[in-house]
Formats: sequence, C-alpha cells, structure tokens
Amino acid sequence: MEGRVKVLLSKLGLDVHNRGIITVAKALRDAGMEVIYLGNSLPEEIIKAAIQEDVDVIGVSSLGGAHLTLGSKLIEGAKREGIKDRVMFTIGGVFSSTDAEKLQQIGFDEVFEPGATREEIVSSILEFISSKAGR
Amino acid sequence: MPEEKRTTKEILQAKLADQERIPLYNSEALEKLREEFDQWKNTVVGKQDRENWYATPHTIIGSEIPREMLYTPLNNPGFDCMQDLGNSGQEPFTRGIHANMYRGREFTMRQLTGFGGPEDTNKRMKFMLEHGATGLNPLFDLPTIQMYDSDDPISEGQVGMSGVAIDSVEDMDLLFKDIPLDEVTVSLVTHYPSNTAILFPMYLALAERRGIPWNKLRGSVQNDITLEEVVRSGPEYIPPQDCFRIQCDNIEFIRQNVPQWNFVTYNGYNLREFGTSGITEMAAAVANAIGSIEDMIKRGHDVDWVAERVAFFWSPASDFFEEVARIRAVRRLWYRIMKYRFNAKSTRSMWMRCHVQTSGVSLMRQEPLNNIIRAAYHALASVFGGVQSLHVDSYDEAYSVPTEEAALLSLRTQQIIQAETGVTEVVDPLGGSFYVEALTNDIEGRILDEVDEIEKMGGYVAAIEKGWLHRKIADHFYREQSMVERGDIKLVGYNIYKALGGVPPIEVFQYPEGVEERQKARLAGLRKRRDNEKVGNALAALGEACKRKKNILPYTVECARVGCSEGEIFRVFKKAYGLWKPPMLW
Repeated sequence: MEGRVKVLLSKLGLDVHNRGIITVAKALRDAGMEVIYLGNSLPEEIIKAAIQEDVDVIGVSSLGGAHLTLGSKLIEGAKREGIKDRVMFTIGGVFSSTDAEKLQQIGFDEVFEPGATREEIVSSILEFISSKAGR
Repeated sequence: MPEEKRTTKEILQAKLADQERIPLYNSEALEKLREEFDQWKNTVVGKQDRENWYATPHTIIGSEIPREMLYTPLNNPGFDCMQDLGNSGQEPFTRGIHANMYRGREFTMRQLTGFGGPEDTNKRMKFMLEHGATGLNPLFDLPTIQMYDSDDPISEGQVGMSGVAIDSVEDMDLLFKDIPLDEVTVSLVTHYPSNTAILFPMYLALAERRGIPWNKLRGSVQNDITLEEVVRSGPEYIPPQDCFRIQCDNIEFIRQNVPQWNFVTYNGYNLREFGTSGITEMAAAVANAIGSIEDMIKRGHDVDWVAERVAFFWSPASDFFEEVARIRAVRRLWYRIMKYRFNAKSTRSMWMRCHVQTSGVSLMRQEPLNNIIRAAYHALASVFGGVQSLHVDSYDEAYSVPTEEAALLSLRTQQIIQAETGVTEVVDPLGGSFYVEALTNDIEGRILDEVDEIEKMGGYVAAIEKGWLHRKIADHFYREQSMVERGDIKLVGYNIYKALGGVPPIEVFQYPEGVEERQKARLAGLRKRRDNEKVGNALAALGEACKRKKNILPYTVECARVGCSEGEIFRVFKKAYGLWKPPMLW
C-alpha cells in the first residue's frame, strides 16, 4: 500500500442525522487518511465522485431506514462501473441485526452498527486495505 | 446606556440588583452552621472525601457541572424564598406555571408517530388514542422533512421512512381520517420554518375542506431555524436570514389567524441530541426566542400578543438532578427575560411552557431493554421539573421505528408515573432542596452567560451564519465520543457490566410495503385532476411574495388549497432565495 488511504464519506440520500459520519470523518483524518466528505448524496453521485477522486474506501451513513434500498443501489452501481472489487464499501447507521446481515450479503465489506468505536472503524479499514495489498 | 443597546444579561443584572431581597436564613444561624460545617468537614469527613469534595457526573450530553458532596444552606446563603421561588403559578414561576400543576391538568401524553403512508400513520395514531394518549404528534418522512415530493428522483427508496409521507393536502386528509380536528390537539412535527410554511397550510386547507373554522384548531408546530440551518444534514439549504424571516412569517400569520395554535416550539431538543450540553441547548433556544420576539415587535406587534403562545421543547437526559434543575432554571430565566427585558404585562407571556422528549441519544443498542429504565428516569426528572407534555422514547429506537408494542410501553411509562407513583400530587416536590436550588441557580447563570455570548456576537442568526453553533456542536460530540470510548462516560451493558454471551434479540419494526408506489400514484392523480392554471398562478404569486419579502403564508395557504405539492412550493423558495452552504463541521 503506497500513499495515504483515501476515503469518500457520504450521507445516503436525504437522511438528516450526521453526528455519526462527522465523528467518523474526523477519526479517519486523525488516523492519517485523506477524507472527502460529500454530504447528502444519491448512490450514483457517490459512485461518480469515487471514480473521479480514485478513492480506496467508500463509507456511507444511513440512520433513516433507507439502508437497504439505497445501499443496494450503491453496490449495483459500483458493480456496473467496475469499481466494486477495487474499492472497500462500508456502511454505518441504525438498522436491525437482520438488515445488517443483509447489507453484508448485498456486498458491503464492513457494516457498523450503533456503538462501533472509532478504533474499530479505523482498524477495519486499515486491515482491509493491507490484506488487499497483500493479495 | 439606552436599554436597547444593553444585552439581556446586563438588563437582568441591573434589574435584579435593584430588588430588595429578604433572605430566608438569618445570619446568626448561618454563622453557626458554617462553624459546624467546617468542623464536620475537617473531622468527620475523611481525607479522601475532602480532597474529592467536588465530583462531576459524566453523562451523554450532560453539562459536566461539578457537584459538592453535601449541600447545605451555605450554598445559597442569600436565598429569598419569594424572589427566587415564589409559590407555584406565581412569579417567578420556578415552581411551575400553574398553582395546582398536575392536580389540575395531567401532563399531555404525546407520543411521536410516523411511518409509511398517511393511511399507516393514521392507524397507529388511532391505536395510541385508543390506549389513552392525550395528544397527537405526527412525524414526517425524510423526503417530506427535506421538502421533496415522493416522486422526486431524490426521494427514491426513502418514502415513508422514519416518518409519514405527505405530499399535498390530500395526504393530510388521509392522515387525519376519522380524527375530528376540532376535538384533538395536534403537534405537527414540522421542524423547519420552511416546511412549517408548507405543511401547516395543508392542515389549514384541510380544516377548510371539513368546514372547521381555524379558531377551533388547537396544537403546535415546531418552526425553528436551528433545525433547518444547524441540526440537519441535507442537500439544499436556503440562507439563514430568509429562513429566520419565514420563521417570523409563520409566527405572525398563525397568531393572527389561528389564535389557539402554538406557532413556534423553540427546539432545544434536536440541538442537544445532535451534540451539545444542556446549557447550550437552552441558551440557543432562548436566544432564538429573544430574536424572534424582537422581530415581531419591529413588525409592530405587541409583545404580549406574541409571547402568550410561545412554547419550548427540551431533551431530558441521564443526569437526573441536572434535568430537574434545568427545567426549573430556564422557567425562571424566561420569566425574568419577559418581565424585565421585554416589559411583558400578561402573566401568560412569562410562562415557559414546554414539551419534552426523553433523550434518544442516551439510549443504547446493546441490551436494548435497559433503555426502558433509562427513559423512565428521564421522564420522571421531567415530571419533577414540571413540564407540560411528554414523549417517552422507545427501547428499540437504536434499531428502527418503534414497534406497536414498544410504542405502547412508552405510553405506559408515562401512565405509570402519572397514575401509580403519586409524584403528581405535590407541586415541585424537589423545591427547597439545598442541592436542587443551588444547581438551579448555577444553571440559570450558565444559560444566561451563553445567551450573552450569542447576543454579543450579533444575535442568534449571526451565531448561525458565523458557524459558532455548528463548531460548538461538533467539538462537543467528538469529545463525548472520546469519553465514551475511554469509559469516562459509563454506559451499562456497553462499556461496563457487559452481558456475557449477549442478550436475546428483540422484535424489530418492519416498514409497510408499497408506500412509495402508492404515494407516486396519488401524486400523479392529483396533478391530473387539479386545476393546473390555478396551481401555476398560486406558485407565481408565492414567488413574487418571497421576492418582495411580504409575509408568505397567505400565499402558501393558497398553494395548499389549490393542490400544490410540497416539492413545488419548496422549488419556489429555492428560486427566490438562492441556496446557502452551511459551515463545515470538521
């Protein structure tokens, strides 16, 4: 892995709650990553920005219930644009444990439920990136 | 110095300094107590306790006010019972706004409800009413809050989520099907000034359709700039000055035309939940209230005409005594502001009437049933504080919208406090406690200091435009996260006393299906059926009113009547005012 890890963060759709994602943005920046925060965006906008910025990680936040509908669209878009295997996809927010499993099945590499610590988030990204570099 | 140049704090300090005080404690008794106390502290109290005399409760969104180990009259030697407390229903209203408080009227049990389409939420609201809820509190879905239509591409996949989808007066009709608008009180959770100016007119248009005069309608809207410009993540924001003007347009129009309606609920709740202390929560709401009353006076209105219908909304969290003291403190402060800063004459104008919702951010996903206990303490503190109405959060909210069972349990929590514990029989039961009174004084001073800071910055809108509030929040919640992770803030079942092997899963709410399709179909039908020439004219007239800075409400009411959708009206705002980029939070 050369250079800094580049992360794109976004609120998914119209969700109004951003305390979590901003905490994550600060934590990743403090951990030495380059963070781009898109604000509220739709899946296709996130994919477009990710390609433009050539990021390593996409992190989206959804506390408003649209994690499955918009989350699936995000992963579908990523597959269509051919970046699904190149980029790590993570999602955090409020959802049932069943939905958390579904999000993993859809193709998210990491799913963070409420209570995840900054350290867990940072280290899971670093682990993912280094394991991919080693492949 | 002329009065208008002085800050609220300076005015209050001058007025209070002029008052003759009659201390309750005589100086001889205090002197004797001080001697005894000092001796006790040096002989009976152990060295370690003496050295750690002050302890600070660390809690989620707590104010971190250090507490002494024991409180005595020495903490409040100048205590003047009449000046500082009065009796209940009497100035300065520290003990409550009514003489008989809950003996006269129970606190209103008003549980937030909202999910799916209007038909779904209508069913849940009726369920709550059938089980003894005494007020309605519909909450809107994400596209409705952010002012987009259900058929806008931006709303895809989010219609009916975390609230009810409302696109036009037709949805409003379905939402209140079989509910007589002149018999219930309805708190429409229209957070922002902009969506209040769009959605409340739909409610008014519905009343017209049903032949109910507007002066029979009772309830409230939120209508708070803080939520539109600070406590929100969204794709498009109108500028704060315009947003504030709409807030005041709503106040003015509703006061003039819907006399029993509470036109604003200064919302500290969402601000605090986003991440501030209980002090900033109240300072921001009070500063906003001062700013909008000033604006109403500038528009030529009498202060009492406006202030009689002002209401507040607070978040009671886990530091129990802080919560009791906060509600008492801000009630006294508001009285003093109305009396001395605004020279209000009507008693009602000096009442800080408030609704509270127990703190959601204090609830944990881990071991969710623990949240039932947390919310019950939050609710009890609120009742000790003397609030007017109450929502108790449900234990499953870190998973989804509450199930019917969880929502009922929240209502039952209130009913148990009200009917089984006996706490409502005595007004202000903690009044006179050395501790609670000292804390009440301390908190009142701290709130006023922050109000002063905001006023010196140029007022509340300036504090928003400059990003002062945004930065304060971001700093607070980032620091708080560190404290949780370090274990300084202790959370049972999360960072202390964790369940070995986990706990059984709870049942989680499932959203109804087909809501988006239903909403889209209804909108398509409306667009075909309505008189589109009238719609075009109403929207054009609104655009003109926005540009001329006239009160826009008569125009949005007309838009609602002729069947404009929410998204169509918001587009007019965006075109007239342009967009604003809020300050970065990190």
